[in-house]
Parts: sequence; C-alpha cells; structure tokens
Amino acid sequence: MGRRVIILAIMAVLIGTVTLIGCGGDGEATGTLQFHANGEDFVREGFVSKDGWSIDFDHVYVHLEDITAYQTDPPYDPHVTAIIDSDVEVGLPGAYTVDLAEGGEDADPILVGEVQNVAVGHYNAVSWQMEQASSGPAASYSLVIIGTAEKDGESIDFTISIEEEYRYCCGEYVGDERKGIVQDGDTADVELTFHFDHIFGDFDVPLDDHINVGATGFDPFAELAEDGKVNEDLASLQGKLSAEDYQTLVRTLATLGHVGEGHCYCDKQPQS
Amino acid sequence: MANKWKYIICLTFLLLTIFFLPTKAYAHGVDIEYTSSTTIEIVAAYDTGEPMSGAQVVVYAPDDPSTPWLTGTCDDEGRFTFSPDTSKPGTWAVQVRLAGHGDIVHIPVGQDAVASGGSGGYTILQIVLMSVCVIWGIAGTALYFLRRRA
Repeated sequence: MGRRVIILAIMAVLIGTVTLIGCGGDGEATGTLQFHANGEDFVREGFVSKDGWSIDFDHVYVHLEDITAYQTDPPYDPHVTAIIDSDVEVGLPGAYTVDLAEGGEDADPILVGEVQNVAVGHYNAVSWQMEQASSGPAASYSLVIIGTAEKDGESIDFTISIEEEYRYCCGEYVGDERKGIVQDGDTADVELTFHFDHIFGDFDVPLDDHINVGATGFDPFAELAEDGKVNEDLASLQGKLSAEDYQTLVRTLATLGHVGEGHCYCDKQPQS
Repeated sequence: MANKWKYIICLTFLLLTIFFLPTKAYAHGVDIEYTSSTTIEIVAAYDTGEPMSGAQVVVYAPDDPSTPWLTGTCDDEGRFTFSPDTSKPGTWAVQVRLAGHGDIVHIPVGQDAVASGGSGGYTILQIVLMSVCVIWGIAGTALYFLRRRA
C-alpha cells in the first residue's frame, strides 16, 4: 500500500513538473497590435508646394494589402534589402482602401485594423503592398489624389490617379515615440506613413533642399489643366509630362512610403 | 523509522542548500569593482553628405526600449558621442531627427552576453514549484529504496 502511494506521488510530481515546464513557454504573453495609416499634416491640413501652389486635399485614397509587421533581430535595415528576416510576423488580413485626408486637420492617423493575441515584443519592421483596388473610390488604382491647388488667383481642381503598384519594406518607426512594442495585455501600434511632400515639394524649405530637388512640384500638373481641371493617371501623364518630370514623378512615388520619418525599401519600381 | 526521516530531512536540506544558497565564499574580503566603458560615436548626414548639424538624438537602451536612456544633439559636423552602460547588453538604438528627416541606427553592445543569456520565461512561482517538485521526487525515491532495504 505504502509503495503504491509513493509511486503515485512520484508520478504526480513528474507530471506536475512537466506541466509547469509546458506552461512556461514564451508564447503565453500576448497583446494587441494596431496598424495605422498616416498622410501627416501635409494631407490633413494642406500645404504649399515648392513652386508656390497652395494645395488642399479632399481625398487621398490608398489601397493597401498584405500589411505585415515583423519582429527582427538584428533589426531590419531598409537601406540594404527588401528581404525581411523575421522571428515573428503578424499579418493584417484583408484589403483596405483608406482615405488619408479623412477627418479634417486635427484628425488622428487612420486605424486600418488590428490583430489581437499577438506575441509580445518589438515589431520593428513593417511592409505593405499599395495595389490596384478592385472596387470602391480607388477602383483600378493604387493611389488617387483629389484636391484643389491655388496660386495667384488661379484655382485648379485635380485628380491624379496612379495605377502602378508598389511594395514598401520598412524598418523601425522614426518619430516622437517608439512604436510597435507590444507588452503583455497591452496595445501597441505600427504606422504606415505617406510623404506627399516628396511629390509636390515643400515651399517652407529651401529650393535646394533634397526634398524639393527630387520633387515634381505642381507646375507640371497645372500646365495640363483644361477649364481649371486636371484629371490624369500615370499612363496619360507619361504622354503629357516632359520626360524629366515624368521620371521625377516615377521616382518620388517609389519613395512615398515611410514609417514616420524612417525610409523604406521599395522593391517594385514602376515601369517607365 | 525516525532515522529514515532524519535521513530524508538531511537530504532535503542538503538539496535546498545546493539549490538556493550562494556558492561564493569570502576569506580576506577584497572588493574590486571596475567599469568597462565603450564610447560610441555616430555621424549623421543627409544623403547629399550634408551633416545634420544640431539634430536631435535619442538613445534607447535594450532593457527599456520605450524610454529614452539619453538625449542630446549632434554637433556642427553631425557627430554625437555617448558611452553605453555595458551592464545592459543587447541592441542599443540611436534615433537622429532634424526638421522632418530622421533615421534610426541599431548598435550591438555585448551581444555575446545576450546570446548566451537567454530567458527561460518562467515565473518565480513556477521555479519554486518545480524545485519543490524535484526535491520531493528525489526524497520520494530515496524513501522508496530505504523502505525496500528495510
């Protein structure tokens, strides 16, 4: 009788130990990861282009797919490669057409979606596809910019649509705070940032600043206006813009995606 | 019977001693402390080569990645120097920003220590319970064999 009790006790101890070891894994702690899209103040408040056009945006639609956040160690460097070697990755299922101009001047970045019960840790890389939408306000385009530009009493309503698709691979967010650090039971976020000053330039910085040197500005688009309206896509712009302006536009579109102020690797260059 | 229990108690105490008491012994106490200092210098510049003079610098230590460990500014040549706390091995992050432009660089400090110091992920309660279970298992085994011998 006593021997049986001892054997049972030993077995119970072993089972308990194995159970405790099994429960002690790293995968237990989880949190929530949110994905935001941000056109920054340039889109929400409007701005003056490098060539003096005061631009206000009614809508800036981007169509996003394959949005993924990664934990990488060593941290992913977008200056080197598009290959993100990750330990943990979290994908946001679905496709989203987001209006970056939504909500007015004081609006927060747009919440694209969130994934719950993700592994804790630092999501220090993110990638996404900017693809043609199959339906909705950006149908057949990956990017649609709608707004009004004014200069010296002239007003131009413009719609610039981009059908080319891009994949942006980005490292860690660069900004006022560090993002993407998920702790147990808490919510963290990563941000898909879009820099439209790269296309139009920024009147507030010198003309020889690299942002303005590499930007198309708005003059080339204004020259295409008929009855105060511009409505073009990338294919039509290829035939109407000068070769230099078109190539500049093509280059800037590849640099549109950021993470805060952090740059991204664009691994799908548009056809020129 | 009383001898058996003495044996078990002694064995348990011995194991507890092995598990939990420090192994360091002090004779003529000499306490030597040292500081290992590694200075890191970064140079921040735009793609054009123009230095990021006066750029804001934020340094994050690996043990608290959300809270700035150090803040400062680059000098006229875009340089910034700091000495990371070598007791905090891992990947240090240095963020540099100026007028809407910025980047972050990750610098490994004492990475060997990190690679060999992996965390098992157990809570203190789990560790204590596992230790008790192991000790009790050994004691039970000893009791079993003692009983057979008797």
